[in-house]
Amino acid sequence: MIEINNLKKRYGERTVLDIPSLSINDGETLALAGANGSGKTTLLKILGGTVKASEGSFSIPGSILYMPQNSYAFRGDLIRNILISGADRSKAFELLEKLELSHLADKKAKSLSGGELQRLSLCRVLSGKCDLLLLDEPTSACDANGAELVIKAIKDYQKSCGCTVIMSTHSPLLALNASDRLIILNSGKIEADGSPEETLANPGTQWAKSFIAGWKI
Amino acid sequence: MESFRQAFELLFPPDRELLQIIGVTLRMSFFSTLISCLIGLPLGALIGSKSFRGKSFIKKLIHTLMGLPPVVAGLIVYSLFTHYGLLGKLNMLFTVRVMVVAQVMLITPVVIGLTSSFIESASKPVIETARGLGFSGLKTARLCIGEGRSSLFSVVLNAFGRSIAEVGAVSIVGGNIQWKTRVMTTAIMLETNKGKFSFALALGIILLIIAFIVNALASFIVKEVKDD
Repeated sequence: MIEINNLKKRYGERTVLDIPSLSINDGETLALAGANGSGKTTLLKILGGTVKASEGSFSIPGSILYMPQNSYAFRGDLIRNILISGADRSKAFELLEKLELSHLADKKAKSLSGGELQRLSLCRVLSGKCDLLLLDEPTSACDANGAELVIKAIKDYQKSCGCTVIMSTHSPLLALNASDRLIILNSGKIEADGSPEETLANPGTQWAKSFIAGWKI
Repeated sequence: MESFRQAFELLFPPDRELLQIIGVTLRMSFFSTLISCLIGLPLGALIGSKSFRGKSFIKKLIHTLMGLPPVVAGLIVYSLFTHYGLLGKLNMLFTVRVMVVAQVMLITPVVIGLTSSFIESASKPVIETARGLGFSGLKTARLCIGEGRSSLFSVVLNAFGRSIAEVGAVSIVGGNIQWKTRVMTTAIMLETNKGKFSFALALGIILLIIAFIVNALASFIVKEVKDD
């Protein structure tokens, strides 16, 4: 279980994250939603160990894999980009197949479109094993078909390894179809927390209500 | 046109003294670039990739040293290696080796500064991705070098360019001794002082040709690296 206590992040005078208490169960898939600058990425980066919290504590069970918001293509072809993480060739091909990139396997990764690169980045992360998977906006560059492939791949991975998944998103599709818990953040604070269905039906605060209204589901 | 004719005459057939000067120039530039890069590339990578106390001060210091006037570097090295200096017993003054020392003093800050800037900016997504995948610091560093090798190659080229074109420091510590420490730039300076402008210009043209050949070779290698 992930336990967060009084977690705060400040940049100068500005507090970008302020979570008094939060528990995330093992095997849970949690979606973090909220406007730009609401603290989604900051929370992921703190949990992933790339940013230090200004205050507070948290516990992480075991190993972590983190996919940053901006996908990066290493030089070489798509296969090399996956093998670099230590996966074997058959696993790499299996993931490329799953995310409909196998026809580009021997192409240079730097020549991919934004959506293709994001799917490759997901392949690279999913080729490893972890207890906690952190995904920062994994469908932000994908079209509708790409987003569905990503959602399926995340679900399959979670099912096979039983790990905890925390992902930030602006996509209602991802928040509602791939997660079993939805947290809405505003200016670093939790505005709503519950199952996606519950949160949609009863968003809690007025701000969360107007945020969800903007999703146009 | 007179300068071009003289440059041609010096090269075809090659003048013996000119060949010796070119040899010393290339030897000095090669070794000063090599040593500067051996020191500067790892240090630059370390400063660029790590956060530590005093980093801002160190960066300011490096940026200041990047603009160190060559004559000042020459004077410092001269005072170290002169007969009564700290390293006077090594008896290295007016040799190519001490010219390399002076150039290393000048070029190393440039290599450190350019490398750390590159690592800080261009390598950020590489570092973030590598950390996300749980890679060790060593594997991340290797990836950064592999991904940015064409940019790092430009740093090396920049160091070589600065070395081959430098005149102030090498003339102070090398003494511009014929058949010993005379390099292209100090030879040009000497010919200019003697009033032989067109001959000095001819030497300048040859220096440019050498720099062009080195750059063309480097560009070819960088292209090969990029296409890899």
